[in-house]
Amino acid sequence: MNTLLILAIILFGLMAFVGGKKGVRSYFSLFINFGILLIMLFFMLDPKMNPIILTLIACVAIVSVNLFYVNEVNLKTKLAFVSTMATLVILFVFIYLMTNLSMIQGFGEEEIDELAPYSLMIGIDFVKVGVSIVIISTVGAMTDVAIAISSPMRELIYHNPSIERKELFTSGMRIGRDILGTDTNTLFFAFIGSYLALVLWFKDLSYSIGDIANSRVFVAEVVTILSASIGIALVIPVTSWVNAFYLTRKNE
Amino acid sequence: MFFQKHKKVILFYSLLSLLCAASLLFVYQNAAFYDRTIAKVVATDRIESEKVTDMHGNEDRQFTQKLVAEILNGEEKGQQIELLNDYSYSGAYDDEFRVGHELFISIDRASVDKEALTGEITDIKRDKYLVMMIWVFVFTLVIVGKKQGFFSVISLAVNALLLSFALDIYVRFPSISLVLICAIAAIFFTAISLCLTNGLNEKTYAAIIATLIGTIASLTITYFVIWITDGNGLRYEEMQFLSRPYVMIFMASLFVGSLGAVMDIAITMSASIFEIYEKNREISMEALRKSGMAIGKDVMGTMTSILFFVYISGSLPMLILYLKNAAPLGFTLSLNLSLEMARALAGGIGIVLTIPIGLYTAIFFIRRKQVRA
Repeated sequence: MNTLLILAIILFGLMAFVGGKKGVRSYFSLFINFGILLIMLFFMLDPKMNPIILTLIACVAIVSVNLFYVNEVNLKTKLAFVSTMATLVILFVFIYLMTNLSMIQGFGEEEIDELAPYSLMIGIDFVKVGVSIVIISTVGAMTDVAIAISSPMRELIYHNPSIERKELFTSGMRIGRDILGTDTNTLFFAFIGSYLALVLWFKDLSYSIGDIANSRVFVAEVVTILSASIGIALVIPVTSWVNAFYLTRKNE
Repeated sequence: MFFQKHKKVILFYSLLSLLCAASLLFVYQNAAFYDRTIAKVVATDRIESEKVTDMHGNEDRQFTQKLVAEILNGEEKGQQIELLNDYSYSGAYDDEFRVGHELFISIDRASVDKEALTGEITDIKRDKYLVMMIWVFVFTLVIVGKKQGFFSVISLAVNALLLSFALDIYVRFPSISLVLICAIAAIFFTAISLCLTNGLNEKTYAAIIATLIGTIASLTITYFVIWITDGNGLRYEEMQFLSRPYVMIFMASLFVGSLGAVMDIAITMSASIFEIYEKNREISMEALRKSGMAIGKDVMGTMTSILFFVYISGSLPMLILYLKNAAPLGFTLSLNLSLEMARALAGGIGIVLTIPIGLYTAIFFIRRKQVRA
């Protein structure tokens, strides 16, 4: 039997048992997201397409699935959608600058031996693919934070309609701060898990600190982890502001 | 008045800015500390440009540029050197250099006595971008998250050091199982992260216990499945950076990878259940259990998707490379994604299992508190 298949069945059983209908929907959303990523990948193979624009379109689809399919279409999810997309655009600019500056695109010298049989001249701009990786790795977490802030803010104004815009914004920030630590932690360990072998490689081959700090793979990894965390942090004020602005405007 | 009120905050930010400025100054001027020769590009000239087509019909452009660079350290410090650089439009394993870039080079010894020095480019100096990135991260987290943000930065730094230390032990004593070392490190990771971000209280203790039980339970299931299916469908051959037995590294990476997400769920469950209880001490255990499950259902989906995206995204360049080299789709996907999928699924199992585990651990702590009171 296939290991992945059995693990997938176990996960389905658990999610359905613990999460009920919503659990099943969340489970299927993983596969829908996988499908979106595959479609994005196919379009990226065409050198005429711009990977950054493709990523942006894929993000619209992914965020919609995570917010509107797993939850439902309502004011909370709509505001979370707007906030996530606005933050993503800011993040795009930052990450593009950073990837371009530090020249971390493509493959490192540690990986290049095993790629010997393949042609690297494939006409696809790997700087833009690099931007895409960072964005895709953080879009899930950003959506999570946006909805986690939007929902209680909506409740807050529902129970307390006379609340001021500034006060509402501050509560949003407070809720966000509580999530910030745990979500950056989640990303951190997930990345560390997948790069455990790299760290061991550095140690086994006695890389000096200077070697590590300039290595393409290592710097790329750090830029990805940190940009993803910056994305989570940025989505907090943006969501708080969008919600505070929209919810109190309707009040007037 | 303003200064009085915000004295501490102003002091803190001044200190942070000072540290930031000092470290940036250092990485911009640290060439003397490197053994490898470093040169800074002062002029570039593109001398060749041609269209290339590979055996699969992919079109790309290849360029050659002539660089003049000034050597920043070593015996030849201050001298200029001529370098040649080939790069392509796609840049999968090469880069275009511009004025101001700093490069590691090796000097061609035969050219030392000649008029102009020549040499080879060996690598790019990236340390300043690394430091810059770290500071942008620290400032964003501290400005948005204030105290909590600062503590998460500290906890990430401590955990990174701890991991490095744990791996040092493994490198020195390879007879100890890496999974065991990671398991012991996991206890420290959990305690440090949760105590730093949530303080020393019953909530945190409940979360630590739930994290450990949740991780062990999910890994037992995953290891059992891998064992019973004989790892069928897991393509270890595509694991990168292997200097050690790969199955062991993969198992350890499952452990560390799911830990953060499990911790996140455990603290969410325990914090919210304690919160409900504090607000209404008369609440029945059954009502507490129901509210806890409702919260768990809300976080389950988003957490699994966070892990999923982190793991899948990194494979993107590899997938593109394989498919552009006319590798079959099924082969490409199974080769490049099987381990990432296994990680995501194992993490997902950990997340879902930790919901009831976190719930009952918190209830157990509350019951104990009631008995004592």
